[in-house]
Amino acid sequence: MSSQDELLRVEGVRKTFPGVVALDSVDFDLRRGEVHVLLGENGAGKSTLIKLLSGAHRPDRGRVLADGREVRIDSAQDAEGLGIATIHQEFNLVPDLTVAENIYLGRQPRRFGLIDRRRMERDAAELLTRVGLDVSPRARVRELGIARLQMVEIAKALSLEARVLIMDEPTAVLTAGEVETLFALVRQLRSEGVGIVFITHHLEEIAALGDRVTVLRDGRSVGRVSASTPENELVRLMVGRSIDQQYPRERPEAGEPLLAVRGLSRAGAFSDISFEVRAGEVVGLAGLVGAGRTEVARAVFGADPYDTGTVEVLGDRLPGHDVVAAMRAGIGLVPEDRKGQGLLLDASVQENLGLVTLRSATRAGLVDLAAQRTAAERISGQLGVRMAGLHQHVRTLSGGNQQKVVIGKWLLADTRVLILDEPTRGVDVGAKVEIYQLVNELTAAGHAVLMISSDLPEVLGMSDRVLVMAQGRLAGELPAEQATQDAVMALAVATAPPGSPVSETEPGTKEEEGPRGQ
Amino acid sequence: MASDTLRKAPGTGGSRDLRRLLLENGALTALLVLLVAMSLLSGDFLTTQNLLNVGVQAAVVAILAFGVTFVIVSGGIDLSVGSVAALSATFMAWMAANDGVPVWLAVLLAIAVGLACGLVNGVLISYGKLPPFIATLAMLSIGRGLSLVISQGSPIAFPESVSFLGDTLGGWLPVPLLVMAGMGLVTAVILARTYIGRSMYAIGGNEEAARLSGLRVNRQKLAIYALSGLFAAVAGIVLASRLSSAQPQAAQGYELDAIAAVVIGGASLAGGVGKASGTLIGALILAVLRNGLNLMSVSAFWQQVVIGVVIALAVLLDTLRRRTGATGGGAGGGSGGILGGSGGSGGSSGGRGRALLRGGVAVACVAAVIGAVSLLSPGSGSGTTKVGMSLSTLNNPFFVQMRDGAEAEAKAAGVELTVTDAQNDASQQANQLQNFTSSGVEAIIVNPVDSDAAGASVRGANQAEIPVIAADRGVNGAEAEALVTSDNEEGGRLAARTLAEEIGGEGRIIVLQGTPGTSASRERGAGFADGLADYPGIEVVAQQPADFDRTKGLDVMTNLLQANRDIDGVFAENDEMALGAIRALGDRAGDDVAVIGFDGTPDGLAAVEEGTLFASIAQQPAELGRIAVQNALRAADGEDVEDVVKVPVKVVTEENVGEFS
Repeated sequence: MSSQDELLRVEGVRKTFPGVVALDSVDFDLRRGEVHVLLGENGAGKSTLIKLLSGAHRPDRGRVLADGREVRIDSAQDAEGLGIATIHQEFNLVPDLTVAENIYLGRQPRRFGLIDRRRMERDAAELLTRVGLDVSPRARVRELGIARLQMVEIAKALSLEARVLIMDEPTAVLTAGEVETLFALVRQLRSEGVGIVFITHHLEEIAALGDRVTVLRDGRSVGRVSASTPENELVRLMVGRSIDQQYPRERPEAGEPLLAVRGLSRAGAFSDISFEVRAGEVVGLAGLVGAGRTEVARAVFGADPYDTGTVEVLGDRLPGHDVVAAMRAGIGLVPEDRKGQGLLLDASVQENLGLVTLRSATRAGLVDLAAQRTAAERISGQLGVRMAGLHQHVRTLSGGNQQKVVIGKWLLADTRVLILDEPTRGVDVGAKVEIYQLVNELTAAGHAVLMISSDLPEVLGMSDRVLVMAQGRLAGELPAEQATQDAVMALAVATAPPGSPVSETEPGTKEEEGPRGQ
Repeated sequence: MASDTLRKAPGTGGSRDLRRLLLENGALTALLVLLVAMSLLSGDFLTTQNLLNVGVQAAVVAILAFGVTFVIVSGGIDLSVGSVAALSATFMAWMAANDGVPVWLAVLLAIAVGLACGLVNGVLISYGKLPPFIATLAMLSIGRGLSLVISQGSPIAFPESVSFLGDTLGGWLPVPLLVMAGMGLVTAVILARTYIGRSMYAIGGNEEAARLSGLRVNRQKLAIYALSGLFAAVAGIVLASRLSSAQPQAAQGYELDAIAAVVIGGASLAGGVGKASGTLIGALILAVLRNGLNLMSVSAFWQQVVIGVVIALAVLLDTLRRRTGATGGGAGGGSGGILGGSGGSGGSSGGRGRALLRGGVAVACVAAVIGAVSLLSPGSGSGTTKVGMSLSTLNNPFFVQMRDGAEAEAKAAGVELTVTDAQNDASQQANQLQNFTSSGVEAIIVNPVDSDAAGASVRGANQAEIPVIAADRGVNGAEAEALVTSDNEEGGRLAARTLAEEIGGEGRIIVLQGTPGTSASRERGAGFADGLADYPGIEVVAQQPADFDRTKGLDVMTNLLQANRDIDGVFAENDEMALGAIRALGDRAGDDVAVIGFDGTPDGLAAVEEGTLFASIAQQPAELGRIAVQNALRAADGEDVEDVVKVPVKVVTEENVGEFS
């Protein structure tokens, strides 16, 4: 490798926050025309490293070189000047502005002091063609789904003539098809000489897309390997030990039906959904994003209304659209949008853990704070939540630990049927396995789990039965032994019978839900 | 010097705890800095009596702010508390005065009214899905309107048996202070220990997460706004007790003070954060500022500037503390993208930089106060006679002239005159009079916002044997040595006669009334009606308030003209409204419509000269101010003064306008 191929080099960088060493002697480099994967568990320091490169933080020690020269990146403007663009997990887009306005936000082309809308839209259209996105530059960003939002972000990066593109878990929220489109684009950019820093938790993506891999663990760079390194070796580097089994499902005998859903329908979202979940079972709910899985889960839990059908727990019918009744019957929901719907980010771990049990811990209007504290201590210990203390704000926990807190609050409430919606999205490998173990413990104790996941290997590995949804309907049910990726996908892409009231409007409702997590 | 004292404080004991407390609470630091600065700058500040005064003066806003804390912590906003306080108080006084309802029942009913207003807010917000800003803005208007309707615009005397709420226990411990402390404790317990309190934090932190965790969010919100209404009712009762009078215009704009107190106290308008102690500190900061600036005779106009600057600095201090002190700021900046980049950079400049920055803000805070005060307060010779003058407002040329006359006279006599501006708020005036009394002036001149409401504070001055001169408006229920006034009723009669003669004894006229409930408006209106009784051919086709305000005069007149094109004359209860009406009339003013104003302000006289204003009933405000000071000095020397000193009122028309300008 000649030095002019090197775009970026980080040497011996250290960064501390009060009480935490986020990065310590980290080395990293990026060449022209390569995809360099940054791998590590949540909390390993990946986010901090990219924030150093995008100008959000400054290193305490160490050097950053661009094109062989030492540089200081003190602000987003500095990063921009060096041709470094970052696409964060949470997009920096303004929902009510148009695509073109978002791409040129703050840099709108001007003529006579006024914004030259025509030129801006023409330029934006070119960029959109380049990223293969077929939307009008005048479309409002709010109307786009997550995958398209991401393309808009990439178009924005290209408009800055970025030579370094940092992508933080871009595939976490995409469906398989969307991932392929993204990969094609990334490969094209690579061939144009852009250096790409790619963060992902999906190991299979590394071999498919990456050139080199830098593994971070506990704030240190512990290895730089080729992207063709076997997955189990990557996992070993990442967690510092080998994980024997990615999906450690133990299947107890299924008992009596705990949850029975019959003929559940809501116009425009789902129709005629019937299934049972029995004690000791894990039932997977698979399907494409937008198939109506989350909508069904929320309706069962009472978070949203339904038009017809029944939900029963142990034979007792639940009133519709009543979260409290569902909770009392023993249903719990871990929502897909952890930050937006699951957590009070600026409240303490204790407060979050005690939220569901707040009512039952109240006597004569007063909350028994001591009992809340004891319970929080017990459950956080049991779940192995890694934190500075119960008073730490959950915003500062890693994704996996945040998820444990969301699950923990339901465990405290003695939940019999736990609905997990994308339980391991944005969660690292180590914490994933811990969450799977938890699922095992729940079912072993006679509880049941309904698990929605877009991660097909996870659904197949953990479920005892797999329900597949397509376009708002249950397309089929597969027992664990028959559930293969091919079988599930075949059902997931099955089209609904003609004349179905659901098929037209349904994907739209899902897209609306997408950006909520931003 | 202030910072020296601060630095010494931690050494005195429990030093580490105190230091941590200060570092963790920017508002507390700001309060202490203010207290130190005020003590250094004014010898009258650090006395037991004055500190008790500060407490009393903080009470109403603090109680309102406690209620608003609930709302803000839950991520909402309540703009209606000032109006609800006024409504509850007038409702109570009305029940007790008119219907012979026992006082205890009247108190309960008043609280029920506050609760009901809060519930309406809550229903609109949780079930009607109105944004809290809009729902409570509507209630702000409704509450104010209903209190005017109930009271018919006039203050209602408060039953004696409740007035003890505004009085003292054992002659020194003020009851409002106790009520504030009690409500503060209740607030603290509710927030920290109760189900509804914890729900507030959850809802404010993340409403959807709270709902999905089984909290009945709508029901809780209903209760939260109801609580805020209840607290507002209590504040209203305390306020009215203090003034011995329930005023329909009371507590106007207090909602903003309450919100400021909550935010200064460290709450986030985004919800999820906030504490009762912080809110109390916020309310105290506002009260200390107003009190201290009064004591130091800072110009009334600059007081508002200083208060605004200190609010901004106090919140800035707290924001800085938060940004630097946040645990793991890096991990916390999860949402910081390109846009958040610059925000994060402050956090990485190392501990020393932050401390410097924070110190810098504190120093700036002290410097702002000291600098402002020393620049703005008139140089005070120690041996001179001190006289305090509280004006109802300085947002009106009439009172500005009155002040100028008074200041000229004081200068000539070589006495030190402190002028304060009550901003048309009876309770602020009560505070100012209280401050004059405790700082030991030799005489007080009061131009009451309301004659009944000024009574209680003037009684305080009576007890301290400080002579009080009432200017322009009288004081009820207490002893004023003299009333220096131009006769408003006589002026009203003069206006009626002048207008009637100009339009030939018959025709259609419009009356623009002043702020409903003010005595000036009542008396001028009564005099005008009385004078008009002699001219049965004149018909008043419309009569609407325009609040003594030129813009409102223009708007109201424009609207009335839509319905009544065909008019011959307009009587406006002051010149400002008359000038607004002239704008609305355009060419017709002075041509086929005769407009008569009141006060004889410079702008009014200019209009008379131009011919657009037919006449103004000229008071002579500068003369009024001058004579008030003369009488005050005479009274301070123990000489006798006349009970009523009449300053002549004159009709100014084109013929004699030259004599006035």
